[in-house]
Amino acid sequence: MSERKIESVDDGRWKAVLRCMMLSRAIEERLVRLYHQGRIFGGVYTGIGQEAIGAATSLAAGPSDLFAPCIRNMTVHLGRGETSLNVFRQYLGRASGPTRGRDGNVHYGCTANGVYAMISHLGAMLSVVTGAVMARRRQGRDAVGVAYIGDGATSTGDFHEAVNFAAVFDVPVIFLIENNKFAYSTPNAEQFRCKQLVDRAQGYGIEGLCADGNDAVELFLLAQDLMSDIRQKPRPILLECDTMRMRGHGEHDDFSYVPRELLEKYAARDPIAQARSRLAEAGLVAKAAADDIELQVRSEVDQAYQQALEEPVPDPADLMEGVYADR
Amino acid sequence: MPTVEMTYLEAIRQGLRRLLQERNEVLLYGEDVGAFGGAFKVTLGLQEEFGKDRVFNTPISESAMIGAAIGMATQGLRPVVELQFVDFGMTAVHQLLNNAGPTHYRTGLSVPLTIRAPCGGGFGGGPFHSEELESLFCLMPGLKVVYPAFPSDARGLIYSAVMDPNPVIYLENKYLYRHVKEVMSDRFDPIPLGLARICRPGRDAVVLTYGAMVHEALRAAERLSAEKHYEIMVVDMRTLKPYDAETVIAAVTATNRVLIVHEGWRTCGFGAELAALVAERAFHLLDAPIRRVAAPDVPVPFAPSLEKAYRPDADKIGEALVELIEY
Repeated sequence: MSERKIESVDDGRWKAVLRCMMLSRAIEERLVRLYHQGRIFGGVYTGIGQEAIGAATSLAAGPSDLFAPCIRNMTVHLGRGETSLNVFRQYLGRASGPTRGRDGNVHYGCTANGVYAMISHLGAMLSVVTGAVMARRRQGRDAVGVAYIGDGATSTGDFHEAVNFAAVFDVPVIFLIENNKFAYSTPNAEQFRCKQLVDRAQGYGIEGLCADGNDAVELFLLAQDLMSDIRQKPRPILLECDTMRMRGHGEHDDFSYVPRELLEKYAARDPIAQARSRLAEAGLVAKAAADDIELQVRSEVDQAYQQALEEPVPDPADLMEGVYADR
Repeated sequence: MPTVEMTYLEAIRQGLRRLLQERNEVLLYGEDVGAFGGAFKVTLGLQEEFGKDRVFNTPISESAMIGAAIGMATQGLRPVVELQFVDFGMTAVHQLLNNAGPTHYRTGLSVPLTIRAPCGGGFGGGPFHSEELESLFCLMPGLKVVYPAFPSDARGLIYSAVMDPNPVIYLENKYLYRHVKEVMSDRFDPIPLGLARICRPGRDAVVLTYGAMVHEALRAAERLSAEKHYEIMVVDMRTLKPYDAETVIAAVTATNRVLIVHEGWRTCGFGAELAALVAERAFHLLDAPIRRVAAPDVPVPFAPSLEKAYRPDADKIGEALVELIEY
């Protein structure tokens, strides 16, 4: 937990955090509907209930910082400046989208926003963002990185290789484990034996911290502190965030294997509802202002979806275009 | 112009040294490549000359090494990663097949990284230090694959590989490191990727080959010329992806008989691709069926008697050529 108080951050920034989470929720709820209506291509994987983690960390960062979001991090994309229009273009496979229809759903990024497009091989992006931060710092920029990973992917060799690699080279990257209790259908108990995943930090010779992944306010303050600290004294940090996957792995999955009590427990700790009440109590974002944001993002989502729908799909004649770079 | 005699290994080092001198964005790293100079001493002296910042050791983490290179390459550096043996690169295939290769197509980001990988046998390396895996890399969209056979090609091609805006797999043959020398100018021009070279003219048959087998084919050709007055053309492919189909077709047109030779396994080896190319485009020109000399489909054996039986050489190539010409 940060020593600093909620008042140390201005209301504009808190509104941005709230808006980021609300916009993500609105987009993903729409995507869920479209999936079940059969009006979308491929799979839909959401971060519903986990919005605080990406919103707090991406909005606490500086302009030259770099991100490797994972499956449930719509709020990282949005927090770094991605538009809802581009998100719908991506899901609808539009030629105008961030991957121009070459890749789908969660696999997109934005160079200008410092956000890498994930691949499905979990853990592979951790070393990519590590190398990218090494490059930026070599060029004299004070970049730090945040790499997001689930509880399940901590079992990969790539997780081990990347964390150790960053430790050896003192690369300022926050390896943020979103422990949402399930890797597809596999619960924590069948995934690892350590008491908590953050215990592994000791084995890499780095610091490890735990945080409430559903508390956007505290997480934002903590992320600001951590980023400023590792920016000055470059080194990786392992940050385990407690959260819960509130839906299936993807929308094709009815998640009947998840105990209902667990879902109820975390439903009562919904990150958006919690942030709204905390910010209202602190007198930073009044209920009416938050309601306004909610209305704005819902109407933005309607417009973005409609516009993306009207845009052209990729021309099959361009199939081979872009395999190799010319420069 | 002053000339020097250089081994294949020294020529690679000269190419790397020039890149490090001319291009500040070039970095060189891998296992033991620092002060130790690498398992084969290709990088000997480079850390001393260019500093630990440009030439450095990494942990034994092939996936993190390649992942970090993707991150660096997308931020403006040109990392050159040495795999100690190509065999060990198989622990990081996903970073090449699924990450480096498709990145430009998926996201529009250029990935100018180079993987240097020592290949091949002939020295008792056994199953894990002798493999030839070029056809695996050739399968992967977005990669380029280079495999020089001569010192002058080795230094000219490493320069072009590193300066290419795409991920390039630069394969080095361990047997050639110290067995092949060439008197050549002490200055050099880069050799463009994608061009084969006719290294011996001939009219009776053509050998399409690359790597260590170029030298075995040349030996076989010399012998057949002296013993039987057969004149064998030898084509060194030099780049395997994208490969030089036009030179292959021209060679077939000039000779009408084709032998394809490579050191690695026969089934689905690169020779199968060349055979298919010739069958598709020059079937009507053939006076005899296409032949292949390649390793049999067994793990690379250790005992010298077994390895000699396994590995293609000038004797086996010579026998196949006589059968081909006297068909």
